[in-house]
Amino acid sequence: MKNKRLNFGIILFIAIGVVPFVAAFIYALLYSFGVIGVANKGFTTEFWTSVLASGEFFTSFLYSFLIALVAVAVSVGGALWVTLKFRKRLEQKFLSFIIYLPLAVPGIVTGFFTFQLFSKGGFFARLSYQLGWITEASQFPDLVNDALAFGILLSFITMIMPFFVLLFLNVYKNERIEELSILAQSLGANAKQVTQRISLPILIKKTRVLIVLYFIFLLGAYEVPLILGRESPQMLSVLIIREIKQYDLDKISEGYVVAVMYTLIVSAAAIVLFFPRKGRMYEH
Amino acid sequence: MSILQKTLFPILFILVILSCSEKAINDDQALKTAPWQEITKKANGTTVNFMMWQGSPTINDYINNYVVPSVKEKYHINLKISGGQGPEIVQLVMGEKQADILSGQVDMVWINGETFFQLRKVDGLWGPFVKQLPNAKLVNMNDPFINTDFQQAVKGMEAPWSINQFAIVYDSVKVENPPKNLPQLTEYLERYPGTFTISNDFTGMTLLKSFMAEIGGSPNSLDGPFDEEKYNSLSKKLWDYINSHKKYFWKEGRTFPKEQSKMGQLYANGELLLVYGFSEGGIEEKVLNGLYPKSTRGYAWENGTIKNSNYLGILYNAPQKAGAMQVIDFLLSPEAQLKKADVNGMNSNTVLDIESLPSDWKEKFKTVAKRQYGPEMKQLEKNAIAEPAPEYMIRLYEDFRTQVIEK
Amino acid sequence: MLSWKPFALSVAVLLILFPFVYLVLLSLSSEWRFPDLLPSYFGLKNWATILGSEAGLLESFVSSLLISLSVAIVSTTSGFLISRAVFYHPKKNTLTLLAYFPYILAPVVFAACLSFFFLKMGLFGNITGVIVAQFIIAFPYALLFFSSFWNKKIKSYEDLVATLGGNRWQTFIKVLFPLAKGLILICFFQTFLISWFEYGLTSIIGIGKVQTLTIKVFLFIKEANYYYGALSCCLLIFPPVVLLYLNKRYVFKKLV
Repeated sequence: MKNKRLNFGIILFIAIGVVPFVAAFIYALLYSFGVIGVANKGFTTEFWTSVLASGEFFTSFLYSFLIALVAVAVSVGGALWVTLKFRKRLEQKFLSFIIYLPLAVPGIVTGFFTFQLFSKGGFFARLSYQLGWITEASQFPDLVNDALAFGILLSFITMIMPFFVLLFLNVYKNERIEELSILAQSLGANAKQVTQRISLPILIKKTRVLIVLYFIFLLGAYEVPLILGRESPQMLSVLIIREIKQYDLDKISEGYVVAVMYTLIVSAAAIVLFFPRKGRMYEH
Repeated sequence: MSILQKTLFPILFILVILSCSEKAINDDQALKTAPWQEITKKANGTTVNFMMWQGSPTINDYINNYVVPSVKEKYHINLKISGGQGPEIVQLVMGEKQADILSGQVDMVWINGETFFQLRKVDGLWGPFVKQLPNAKLVNMNDPFINTDFQQAVKGMEAPWSINQFAIVYDSVKVENPPKNLPQLTEYLERYPGTFTISNDFTGMTLLKSFMAEIGGSPNSLDGPFDEEKYNSLSKKLWDYINSHKKYFWKEGRTFPKEQSKMGQLYANGELLLVYGFSEGGIEEKVLNGLYPKSTRGYAWENGTIKNSNYLGILYNAPQKAGAMQVIDFLLSPEAQLKKADVNGMNSNTVLDIESLPSDWKEKFKTVAKRQYGPEMKQLEKNAIAEPAPEYMIRLYEDFRTQVIEK
Repeated sequence: MLSWKPFALSVAVLLILFPFVYLVLLSLSSEWRFPDLLPSYFGLKNWATILGSEAGLLESFVSSLLISLSVAIVSTTSGFLISRAVFYHPKKNTLTLLAYFPYILAPVVFAACLSFFFLKMGLFGNITGVIVAQFIIAFPYALLFFSSFWNKKIKSYEDLVATLGGNRWQTFIKVLFPLAKGLILICFFQTFLISWFEYGLTSIIGIGKVQTLTIKVFLFIKEANYYYGALSCCLLIFPPVVLLYLNKRYVFKKLV
């Protein structure tokens, strides 16, 4: 009885979670080899050769990877710090509402807003002018569409750090870290030990799946790098959509080549990160 | 894994079967020759889907508050607007072709030469239909800027909706003598560094075509079919020019704005002082709604800027072709075109041949209020050049990326 | 000793509120250029223009609400229930891995690759299609969201209920839901937002015919006129803020 029910759940899971992905992947794969596509003429490897030869994909991947990594590291670090330092205060009525507010702001609005504030003609540039720090718009430092992706990073961090704060607060409560900490303290542990041996390990272990998930999410982010990024290198989704929507219909398949490679690499990463390993059996 | 196999493969199998369904022929040939009354009759009471760019309130106002109620009242047509421009339209058509959809989601589309070229390439348009429209007789089809789109004869596959010219836009308070040719641009760049750039899109490429025509030595230097040799020699000089001046560009030429709209924002907030665009620069609306400074002016390049038309097309699998023809005919009527020319509204140049109109309409068109800020097309016309063949655009896109952006 | 914490928190609160205030001000401004610190025009002009030119904003709002609520309810419920089956399954690690894959593809790319199948199934250009497509995106999120919930402790509660003679229904209503309430609400809210803000996927599957509020106002954000852009941002973010407020007020009351 019980097993049957579980299996029904699994079948649903596969129908919703797996089939569309496989179908989309096969579609992209066929498109990348020119098998389908109205402007294509049949099987060819020319799109793959040309994408691999240009090397743009690899630059773009590395660029996206670094940006996502820095953004997630800073956000998780910041959120842990906030959670551990301010947990009690964040439970106040007013603050507990305020900390949810950033969740209501989507990527495109964050990107738009960051641009309005940090561009050379933006709010902070005007402020600097009024304060006499600069005399011309072009003297304002390059903070959006810049080489170090400052604008993108700032947007990403402001988008996901609040989420992690909320998550950690919830885990803190659910896992009864409070009680555990009191217990540890009564057994003679000092505050530092409680943080390092109890709070941090539990928070990170319980949420590592979501942390990696957000890394992947940032790796494929579209709107923010579209507004705040440079024309070269571009983040992956921007590159893919640019290729798919390009003017030269004969080369649309190149976009699907990038999509396929990107999916394969991140899938491989997911396999390495999440695949069951023997030594980990007792973890849960 | 066995569960996976049991569920996954049948589903994939069904998908494969689905994708091999028979291709039927949707025959609307009769509409191409039917008398207009019959088309009107067929159009009556239909729901027509119109896909167009919706990024401007003045355009949306014209469509939502004038065109939609008018066609409802006059022809009982329920006109539905969906948002999408060039690439989305092309993607939709390619997707529907791929899936053999006989009755498409969209009937009519608003396109420019770029999209026309792409849609012709995949046989995405239905026609010719323009000759059937009674109001098409009011259009001067002998005008080369109307009957030829990117060096390709229109041949009734799309109906002109408005005509416009590319203009250079500048702030007359901050820039005294805006450049009119490449040597002057050099002077400008040295004097106002960081205030000029090239958008990596349709608009930027159009500017590059003007530059290339100037390097070619005459307004007509790019006319005719694509010439590889000519392109190679002219584009090399163009990239040399741009790369040697890059350090004076916005952000020292290390990056370029993705779209013209971004360039507009940069001009509006004062970062750029010299920009450009179609519709004679799109100045009037942007000044009136407070985006651009009132001192904004526009002009044409000495060797000429591109002049072209934008069009309305009917998709190959449009379910309501008659309805779409009726709506397009209405959009070409003197009434709709006059309303569209309103300087406080959509403010676009009519494609109608004003001289051939009945005298009362002629009078109305001639007394239309003039723009306060932007130039009239009449003032730029002597510096107008035609769109070169589409291959120039394809190559410029590609080479601007490899020769300039990635260098 | 004076604590620095209240000060730091006040700054944080101001930083959080700043974007909301700034966007409202920008939407009310006009003729605001470098180097002016304040706009030359301040008033309702932009709002009047947009509300006048965009017919059917209310309709769009209702259809957005309908779509987002459907997606949030269906994906949170199914995510919660199915995640139980997945995370109690002996092969849960393999299954979890499979759930990550759809999450990897950016929604826009996913939609571009899926549109063919949606076309084939007649789920193109209508609300149902958009709901299904957004559900496909939101479901793995919801499923994975609950992954950390199904641990040994929960399992032992379930076993305890079973030992005490409780049936399945009672297990869910009396034990699992109360325990997961906080997570369920966050998940509901997140999936609601995924749907509410989804642009690329909605525009491909709905081909601009399903005019959600996001589709309607999104177009202005990317256009040159950033005053309209700010206005669009306001229209986008204030409904979720209201929802959040109601949510906090009536549902989170006893939590957090």
